[in-house]
Amino acid sequence: MKKGVIVLIVIAVIAVALVSGVIGRYNQLVALEETVDGRWAQVENQLQRRADLIPNLVNTVRGYASHEEQVFADVAEARSRLLGAQTPEAQIQANQGLDTALGRLLAISEAYPELKADTSFIRLQDELAGTENRIATERMRFNESVQTWNTTIRQFPTNLLANLMGRQAKPFFEAAPSAMEVPRVEF
Amino acid sequence: MSFNRSMVRTSVFLILLLSVSSLAAAAFPAKQGFVNDYANVIDQKSRAEMQLLGEKLWTEQGIGLAVVTVATTAPMDPKEYTTALFNEWGVGGPEDSGLLMLLAVSEGAIEVEPGYGLEGALPDGLVGAVIDQEGLPHFKKQSYGPGLSAMAVAYANILAGEEFEIVEERDEARGWFVSFVIFILIFMMMRRGRRYPPGGSGGYGGGGPGRTVIVPRMPRGGGFGGGIGGGSRPSGGFGGGRSGGGGAGRRF
Repeated sequence: MKKGVIVLIVIAVIAVALVSGVIGRYNQLVALEETVDGRWAQVENQLQRRADLIPNLVNTVRGYASHEEQVFADVAEARSRLLGAQTPEAQIQANQGLDTALGRLLAISEAYPELKADTSFIRLQDELAGTENRIATERMRFNESVQTWNTTIRQFPTNLLANLMGRQAKPFFEAAPSAMEVPRVEF
Repeated sequence: MSFNRSMVRTSVFLILLLSVSSLAAAAFPAKQGFVNDYANVIDQKSRAEMQLLGEKLWTEQGIGLAVVTVATTAPMDPKEYTTALFNEWGVGGPEDSGLLMLLAVSEGAIEVEPGYGLEGALPDGLVGAVIDQEGLPHFKKQSYGPGLSAMAVAYANILAGEEFEIVEERDEARGWFVSFVIFILIFMMMRRGRRYPPGGSGGYGGGGPGRTVIVPRMPRGGGFGGGIGGGSRPSGGFGGGRSGGGGAGRRF
């Protein structure tokens, strides 16, 4: 009789320990996932900011180089694809497309000294470069959180719980092999 | 050209990879206060000016100013280094109100980065314009202290609510062209004036398109005497401020 009580107590203690362990892991996973989502929202903010700058930039360039219609159309199309992208993967891909289109737009300026000297163009370029640096920074922070997430959900025993919850490894935001590098011309 | 570009692309990619991996391992120098002249390029007068300005900004507005010069930022890119240093030091108060100005001598780079809290007051375009007008003319003559000081003064004025006037033309060649055209016009007017009967002198055009620009400046106070010791005074300006990599930079 007494033995049975002890066994019951031991089982209860083990059960409580297990359950609280599981709860702890669960909460940890939730917190990590929230971090990843929060960091991604920061990346999205900056992508949005970049998209917002583009119409002004295009208009400024158009003022000096109105016949480069193809480039303007490409930029506009890439921009609307970025704004229309739903999933992070699609956004990353659309952003790379925008990189290429913008690279060509900025390359135009090399052929137009007057455009290069235009104060508002210089300011817009600063804004654009600043936004790109912000994207790089937020991307780095996002990738760090993704790495923590991916490591955690693969480790034992959290991987069992993650499987139960149906959680999977998340993709990194890889940097495009710098399509943005505009050849720098010094006089 | 196209073969060149692909090479450039590959190397840029490699550099990016390298710099990302080096980011974690990088060790930053210990902060010394508002002015951190690790490259030893700032003269006493400029140092004193910026020190005073830093204290004023910190006590009156809670804005942390950090001026840093380094010999090189290798293996990092100057911009990357600036962002990492900003967040490592925590420039500015808890409202992320910090401003970091970094000059890398061997890269010939100036990078200015506002914290999250100052991004509204100091948009990147304005940050870049101040570099162009206040910093670069000095930096091109290797006069680093006065350039940094003039920039710090301009940023402080903007943060105090003053307007910073952006010079319309920074292309000198264009300026010369404009003067040349004006000269020709005046010359033609003078010739035309001669044809008129004596007495009525040909009118000289009014002032040409003025290029005078009023850039608000703080009165340069009298020189501070001896140097101010770095460690002796409390080094304000650091309170855990964060930045997201904004701002602007130039190569000179």
